[in-house]
Amino acid sequence: MSDETLHIPVEKARSPLAEAWEMFRQNHLAMVGLAILILIVLGAIFGPLIYPTDPYEMVWAPFSPPGQEGFLLGTDYLGRDILSQLLNGARVTLIIGLAAAFVTVAIGITVGALAGFYGGAIEEALMRFTEFFQVLPTLLFSMVIVSLFGASLPMITFAIGVVSWTAVARITRAEFLRIREMDYVMASRASGAPGMRLMFTVILPNSLPPIIVQSALMVGSAILFEAGLSFLGLTDPNIVSWGQIIGSNRQYILEAGYTVTIPGLAIFVTVLAISLVGDGLNDALNPKLRKR
Amino acid sequence: MMPELLDVRNLSVRFPVGRKGTGWGQTSYLTAVDDISFTVRKGETLAIVGESGSGKTTAALAIAQLVAGETSGEVVLDGQDIMPAGRDQLRAMRRKVQVIFQDPYSSLNPRKRAEEIVREPLDNLTNKPAREKREIVDRLFQAVGLRPEQKRLFPHQFSGGQRQRIGIARALSTQPEVIICDEPVSALDVAVQAQILNLLRRLQSEFGLTYIFISHDLGVVQHMCDSVAVMYMGKIVEHADRLALFNNPQHPYTAALLSAVPSIDPTLRDHSKRILIPGDPPDPLNLPAGCRFVSRCPVAQLHCRELVPELTGNGTEHLTACHLVDADLVSPMQAVREAE
Amino acid sequence: MEPLLKVENLRIELKTRAGVAPVIDDLSFELGQGESISFVGESGCGKSMTALAIMGLLPEGIGRVASGRILFGGEDLTAASDRRLRDIRGNEISMIFQEPMTSLNPVYTVGEQIAEVLRAHQGLGQRAAWTMAAELLDAVRIPNPGRRIDDYPFQMSGGQRQRVMIAIALACKPKILIADEPTTALDVTVQAQIFDLLRDLRAQTGTSIIMITHDMGAVAEMAERMIVMYAGRKVEEGPVADVIAHARHPYTHGLISCVPHIVANLTEEREELTEVPGIVPGLGEFGQDMCLFSARCPRVTEKCRSARPPEAMLGGSQVSACWHAEEV
Repeated sequence: MSDETLHIPVEKARSPLAEAWEMFRQNHLAMVGLAILILIVLGAIFGPLIYPTDPYEMVWAPFSPPGQEGFLLGTDYLGRDILSQLLNGARVTLIIGLAAAFVTVAIGITVGALAGFYGGAIEEALMRFTEFFQVLPTLLFSMVIVSLFGASLPMITFAIGVVSWTAVARITRAEFLRIREMDYVMASRASGAPGMRLMFTVILPNSLPPIIVQSALMVGSAILFEAGLSFLGLTDPNIVSWGQIIGSNRQYILEAGYTVTIPGLAIFVTVLAISLVGDGLNDALNPKLRKR
Repeated sequence: MMPELLDVRNLSVRFPVGRKGTGWGQTSYLTAVDDISFTVRKGETLAIVGESGSGKTTAALAIAQLVAGETSGEVVLDGQDIMPAGRDQLRAMRRKVQVIFQDPYSSLNPRKRAEEIVREPLDNLTNKPAREKREIVDRLFQAVGLRPEQKRLFPHQFSGGQRQRIGIARALSTQPEVIICDEPVSALDVAVQAQILNLLRRLQSEFGLTYIFISHDLGVVQHMCDSVAVMYMGKIVEHADRLALFNNPQHPYTAALLSAVPSIDPTLRDHSKRILIPGDPPDPLNLPAGCRFVSRCPVAQLHCRELVPELTGNGTEHLTACHLVDADLVSPMQAVREAE
Repeated sequence: MEPLLKVENLRIELKTRAGVAPVIDDLSFELGQGESISFVGESGCGKSMTALAIMGLLPEGIGRVASGRILFGGEDLTAASDRRLRDIRGNEISMIFQEPMTSLNPVYTVGEQIAEVLRAHQGLGQRAAWTMAAELLDAVRIPNPGRRIDDYPFQMSGGQRQRVMIAIALACKPKILIADEPTTALDVTVQAQIFDLLRDLRAQTGTSIIMITHDMGAVAEMAERMIVMYAGRKVEEGPVADVIAHARHPYTHGLISCVPHIVANLTEEREELTEVPGIVPGLGEFGQDMCLFSARCPRVTEKCRSARPPEAMLGGSQVSACWHAEEV
């Protein structure tokens, strides 16, 4: 029997995910973004332990500029240590970003997957529902939610999630519509896979790449959103986040610009790093760009 | 002669199409397969031939209940109608009817390992213990010419021909009685096609498989089949044994199809007159009233436009749907020859 | 007579992730006035790349002509400016592609697309171009051209779209028409129509045709001479009838005998198809100093693995690049 595999050397199994990681690793910008992100996360986790100054306590005279009196990043209008605020605020900011992105993705995938899988009347109804949320002015709507139900951390997270899930829903639906027509889905049906199994073990995993990219970018935009709400004062004044630092110092922007610039820079760098990683993921997961 | 294993009677498939041009609440239908009947003998290959839009793939996939449209008719497998399907019956049917798909690049789930893909029908359709399933997968890998160490690889690590071997192993895993091969080599390079075609024939004689072989390539069909059904616009126009059909085609469409195949045989090229059929197939939503081939037929008569020809053999096994076959006039092929 | 097109020792390199690979490796051939030749081989053998090189359409930044010349009427196209190449592409060398749906712009009518070419390259006025477009549609045998000229591509069948592509390609009376798998996406009855059309147009206009295909039957129907490509190299060249009757390279032989052909008188007998084991090597393996077919060849010897076989003339007309050409 002739064997067309004869001269092909033994290969190691490489999953599509392993291939994607290989691609990602070759993308320098994305790796830089990832490195920054890891630093920020490490800072958020271990920073407050290494630098135990209480972020809520008045430790020195207000408005002492960075570098003086042993306070690396200076103090704010109440004489609180900005470095400590930044390290503690990182936790809150990142948690809100991740949690809001999670809410976004959870709602988005559920709606998009049901619409894309079942089609027909279900799809119609769900997509009209999605469009309803899409046309709401997002900032206004989230402000309404927060002012109505109180500016607690979970409520802020929820408010951000509720206004931004539509993009994920649309992407998920589009991917489902595309993957649903692939031969391997029909092959799975011919192999006897029941409907639910098809949806969760065949179509969903294959639709994930663009959803993963979108979710990564969602974390960034959720952080920005939170900063926006905080800036407008719609935040829990007892919990320090980067947006909240900016918001509370905004009246002193001319006298002590650094109180606003430093947390602003932190947000900028974090969101930029997330974008770089998101771009890298996009290139790595998008098979069209993949070369042989 | 082998007994009939599969008997398809009056199979029709229609798809609802957009409301354009029709009023509210009205749906118009595209009839992709229109009341066709055919039989397949055990251990043999029936080829369904036709051009794009002829309904050949839809007809075959309808047997496996893999089309989205409305299907009607009877599919009798080993004396049992497998068409009405509750959940359990559907499972039983899927065990007996498996499919090899056209495009090996899109018919394997990219996130599953080769062994998982081959095992999937066993997982879904049988209650065999894990060890037995593993043994079956091992045997199948060997049978289709893949090495055991390739079991853990993912589809993108295989070439097109190897992927099709995985697809074949998957279709064999539940020991089905009928395997539908939907253009199994048309996406492959010519040299690889031969490998897969030989494999399919070898497996057929080894395991006594019955194939329904869908193809547009008459050379391949001629090599693979025992009998042929030629489809045009949703209808079977000719259904006969291999030799009868290729050596003595009765329907003008079959003849035109055969003569259109480019040949490397200079004598065949010089001696067979090419029957050029003009134009394109008609709009499937707006078919001619009589014979569907009438708009391109080189020998069409007036009554061909009005009467739908029946698929009949006048007592022989060679069935043809053409008015000119049984009319006392002239045989269509003779008419074709004279027209030249 | 000086040939119309002469390709000399052409080497095209393609940048890949793994490095630079010669997709075309030392290719030479000639095309005479009004001649019809065919490039044959499996996918990934460099057939299409040859066509793109002649057209000056190598993928920018990825592929480049590393050495060799493409002489068109004495002019070296590899050294020509972009502007000159554009000029040649429009007027002297045209190309039609495999997929006629994606080659036509969906938002313009076919008439507008043909007329556009005529205006741009022949300097015809609006009305003259339109009249000419209708004539061209008629020439490619589209029924009722006066009405169909206002159709959009989606209103036409695949065969008709390919006819429109041919009309566009012929609009400027090119000296060479390159057809890259022109009928692969079409049904056989439509393929027969298109072949018929191309043959007639060639007879009428004297256009030379280069057809790229994997189908030996199509070659036999359409071409006078054929060039078999494998892994970026020419492995055999000769008159179609001679090569089919007596291939001098094992790869050519494999390509012919691995396909089940329609025969005049079918019998009960069915032989196993001859298999060419394995697959075309990946780009990374191109360019080595050995016979690249050796891994799949039934006649392989030590010599095949250690040196690239030279092109040898056999029987006056056939060229084969095989160490064992005499025995084949």
